Amino acid sequence: MRKTLIATIALIGLTAMPALSETIGISIPAATHGWAGALNFHAERTVERLKEANPDLDFVLTTTSDPGQQVSDLEDMVATRGIDALVVLPFESEPLTGPIQRIADSGIWVTVVDRGLAQEGIEDLYVAGDNDSFGRTAGTYFADTLDDGAKIVVMRGIASTVDNERVAGFESALEGSGIEVLAMDHGNWNRDTAFNLMQDYLSRFPEIDAVWAADDDMAVGALAAIEQAGRNDEMIVVGGAGMKEMVDRIRNDDKTVPVNVTYPPAMISTAIEMTAMGLTSGAPFSGDFIIASQLITPENAEDFYFEDSPY
Amino acid sequence: MTDPVLALDGVTKSFGPIEILHGVDFALRPGEVHALIGENGAGKSTTMKILAGYLDPTGGQVKLDGKPIGFSGSDQAEDLGVIMIHQEFNLAEHLSVDQNVFLGRELTKGWRLDHKSMRQRTADLLKRLHCKVDPGARVSGISVPDKQMVEIAKALSRKARVLIMDEPTAVLTERETEILFEQVERLRAEGVAILYTSHKLGEVKRIADRVTVLRDGTMVRSDLTADVTEDDMAAAMVGRELSDLFPPKLTGSDEPILTARNITVPGIVDDASLTLHKGEVLGIGGLVGSGRTELAEAIAGLRPRSGTVTLMDRDLPAGDVAQAMKAGLAYLTEDRKGAGLLLDKSLRENLTLPLLETFGSPLIERKREDAALDRAIEDFAIRAPARDMAVGDLSGGNQQKLLLAKTLLSNPQVVIIDEPTRGIDIGTKQQIYTLIAKLAAEGRSIIVISSEMPELIGLASRVVVMHAGRIAGELAGADVTEGGIVRLAMGMDGTSKDSAA
Amino acid sequence: MSTLRNMRQNLPVIAPIVALVVLILIGIALNPNFLSYANITNVLARSAFIGIIAIGMTFVITAGGLDLSVGSMAAFVAGLMILVMNLLTDSMGQGLPVILIGIALALGVGILAGFINGILITRAGIEAFILTLGTMGIYRSLVTWLADGGTLSLGYEMREMYRPVYYGGIMGISWPIIVFAALAILGEITMRHTAFGRHCAAIGSNEKVARYSSVSVTRVKLATYVLLGLLVGIAVVMYVPRLGSASATTGLLWELEAIAAVIIGGTLLKGGFGRVWGTVVGVLILSLIGNLLNLTDVVSPYLNGAIQGVVIILAVVLQRNTGTAR
Repeated sequence: MRKTLIATIALIGLTAMPALSETIGISIPAATHGWAGALNFHAERTVERLKEANPDLDFVLTTTSDPGQQVSDLEDMVATRGIDALVVLPFESEPLTGPIQRIADSGIWVTVVDRGLAQEGIEDLYVAGDNDSFGRTAGTYFADTLDDGAKIVVMRGIASTVDNERVAGFESALEGSGIEVLAMDHGNWNRDTAFNLMQDYLSRFPEIDAVWAADDDMAVGALAAIEQAGRNDEMIVVGGAGMKEMVDRIRNDDKTVPVNVTYPPAMISTAIEMTAMGLTSGAPFSGDFIIASQLITPENAEDFYFEDSPY
Repeated sequence: MTDPVLALDGVTKSFGPIEILHGVDFALRPGEVHALIGENGAGKSTTMKILAGYLDPTGGQVKLDGKPIGFSGSDQAEDLGVIMIHQEFNLAEHLSVDQNVFLGRELTKGWRLDHKSMRQRTADLLKRLHCKVDPGARVSGISVPDKQMVEIAKALSRKARVLIMDEPTAVLTERETEILFEQVERLRAEGVAILYTSHKLGEVKRIADRVTVLRDGTMVRSDLTADVTEDDMAAAMVGRELSDLFPPKLTGSDEPILTARNITVPGIVDDASLTLHKGEVLGIGGLVGSGRTELAEAIAGLRPRSGTVTLMDRDLPAGDVAQAMKAGLAYLTEDRKGAGLLLDKSLRENLTLPLLETFGSPLIERKREDAALDRAIEDFAIRAPARDMAVGDLSGGNQQKLLLAKTLLSNPQVVIIDEPTRGIDIGTKQQIYTLIAKLAAEGRSIIVISSEMPELIGLASRVVVMHAGRIAGELAGADVTEGGIVRLAMGMDGTSKDSAA
Repeated sequence: MSTLRNMRQNLPVIAPIVALVVLILIGIALNPNFLSYANITNVLARSAFIGIIAIGMTFVITAGGLDLSVGSMAAFVAGLMILVMNLLTDSMGQGLPVILIGIALALGVGILAGFINGILITRAGIEAFILTLGTMGIYRSLVTWLADGGTLSLGYEMREMYRPVYYGGIMGISWPIIVFAALAILGEITMRHTAFGRHCAAIGSNEKVARYSSVSVTRVKLATYVLLGLLVGIAVVMYVPRLGSASATTGLLWELEAIAAVIIGGTLLKGGFGRVWGTVVGVLILSLIGNLLNLTDVVSPYLNGAIQGVVIILAVVLQRNTGTAR
């Protein structure tokens, strides 16, 4: 079951219904890279908007930089703030499954965002991007546009489930295309690491036709290195997650950056809004909402460019 | 005569190509106190370390109970009852007394530490030593002689058969030394073999049954103490007759050069005043802990203080050692290794440290530094096997001479020398005494702080004695006697008739 | 025999160089492009940031101190510099003055940050480790806050104008390499041949002896932190033109890489002895490991950290004097 939900939510809107004051706890990773930063941005904006629209709603927003701290944060929320609903993006699946299960068992509404728990059926609502689709969309683009025998390099993210799913999707889309993957290393979703890695790829391989950077931060680093080497015309770079700068290049028909793949950080807004509506309207949404990745092309780039977004 | 428990048989020791010990024969017998004396660098430390298993001999044999033995290390030696107490204590400062005594051999009850019995056993041992230290006290907080006692307690707790003590009295006052000797006598009576080194020949005469003299790695003589005089020992050590240890005294002028008024260091020095005249050697006496060192450090700008210090009509600001040095005042610390020299650095780096700016700016001129070191080596007769060696590897006497050279580098008019000869041999002592007299003769003014009565009496024309942070009194000319100093130091009236007796 | 003994005695001195040479030989064996002009330039230039910081760290550690905040400090200074340059571009328009003000700001803030660390350590007597652990967190949060959790990017036009500071150079040698080399030589001379360098070693060796020798201990220690702050500022001036951006992940773990480089180079972690040339070698060793792993597929990329760890430990073990007293 896959739906695109943002439009739906906007239509329904939030009609303030006088009810008892309800508290929603939100726990997300700290803004340690661009995408997480955008996640934080959207979460904060949504909270402000909802508070204004509905004074009876109360929010507790915490950001964490490791799984252990996230568990403590969740415990504190339940113990000291008496939350009625929880929106959580688990830092890691395994260590958070138990604590979130206990919260769900105590009757609190649980919305899990993006990263699934290790056991099924704990959460009331699951809102996520589709990592397999993220990789597959980029892979399909390569398979469709590159010639047989084309040579590509791949920059992976930090070794994790997310990264593995994306790469698996990418590789399965490439199957049978005759495209050769020269090398695949971890750029750790970091600009500086990606810059160094790309420099070394350029030293190592005289011929590269395309670069897949599994995140736009890494794409920025890779592009800087390619530009330094003066090899812009030899290859294309496909990133992911729809960073403003990348979308801007696409809509301006940059030859090096022809397309991008979405993985919208705004999914956190969707999750918070749906949870809030469930609490206030008495008609809770439940189930899985998977947001598939889309290919951004020069034709549709304008729809994905958000002037005031930080990402 | 009983059989030796531990003996060296023709032992030689080389470091690299240099042979330090040339065939030493040596025997320690149960119930005997054996003194090993010699100048710094004569090979005493090496001999002791071989006996205690810290070093392997290059040639010859170590015999335990008559059988040759090769200790695998000091741990094995200790297990066999051969224990060495180092001059620098081997105590963990942050642990308590009982934790130190049982360090590495903790008593346990099952898997838990048995704190109660360790504390009890430590208390018993300390009681045996007539030491009043609380077994639970932290070692960092107890006095130096008490630390010495803790080391001995540690040795006793291991059932020592042979106790090797490296200059145990160097940091003790005479009264504390006496307490230590009572314990040594008690151990002797219990049949422990004791090896003991000291630079204080009077002590050797007093406590040792047998004395062995080392000179340049060779055994010069070994006699029953009763058969030799202190002069014999000194002559054997230096290999020549020692003329008068102290040079003739000079009396300074009446012109004051340094005046300290109402110096107070909270909790330590209380309202002390003194005046130093040009060309004078002034002594400061008193027990360890009476505030002598702290007063000197306060004057030299090394400690916060109240009161005024005037040097040649110039007021010195408190707590500013650089200003004091610039004005012409230098202080030589009693704590050579802790505050005087960088033990892991070379002679050159140590010598020039206080006055680096004067050796070239912005870049230091190595040539000028080397020239200064050449001069220091010559002027102070420093004997260093290699110029670039670490200062920590020099003998104590040569370290002291280097420290003196370093202190005098700024050409100060006033020099405060705290314990000028602690832990150094008699030959070097004499050199230092001569040097002090020479400095005074040049018109410089010297303050000498010392725990050794003969030193104060032999050097100073005037002695100020401190007691419990206060100036207890002053002695001059013929009144500078051992009795007079002791009475003042103990808080009695120094002018009493007894002192003349 | 005697040359062998000499080798053994000199091992602590030459160990880092031996490690570096071994890495270079491995590189040549693994990939013919290793010695290419582009690759050598890349490795040297990317070493410059941590290298410049590590030079300052050598002085801090030699004087018995430590600074864990430099990575975060670099990120914060970079973020602030970009923010201010963007604001100035709005009011003053694009131009050289904006860049010069940006550079002055980076150096000034670096010095100030170093001064704050130094003054709290020397005057307030806070343990360097814990204090800089605190400021590390503070600067890291500040840059995240400045960037609103995202990335601060220099405006496109300004970036183009400022770009040559990283990518340009003279006679084919890029500026970061030139600056790094110049600072390394200056640092080595300062450490070995000036009173300041000697005083650092004396304080690290025994602070009490230094104080008794009328060395102004607090002033020298403070100066080491200020110097380090200044060098962080210089590193940032070279860093910003590379990607024109700063984020919460900028400079992550730089402090540990800098400290590792200093120690690999033979400076004692407890202080008392330091050598800047060793630090430079240490930085190059760390950079080369990353470069070599990127140039080959021999080792799983998951094991990069392990390889680095092994090399760090080996380099330090080789430096230990063999046959120390038991």
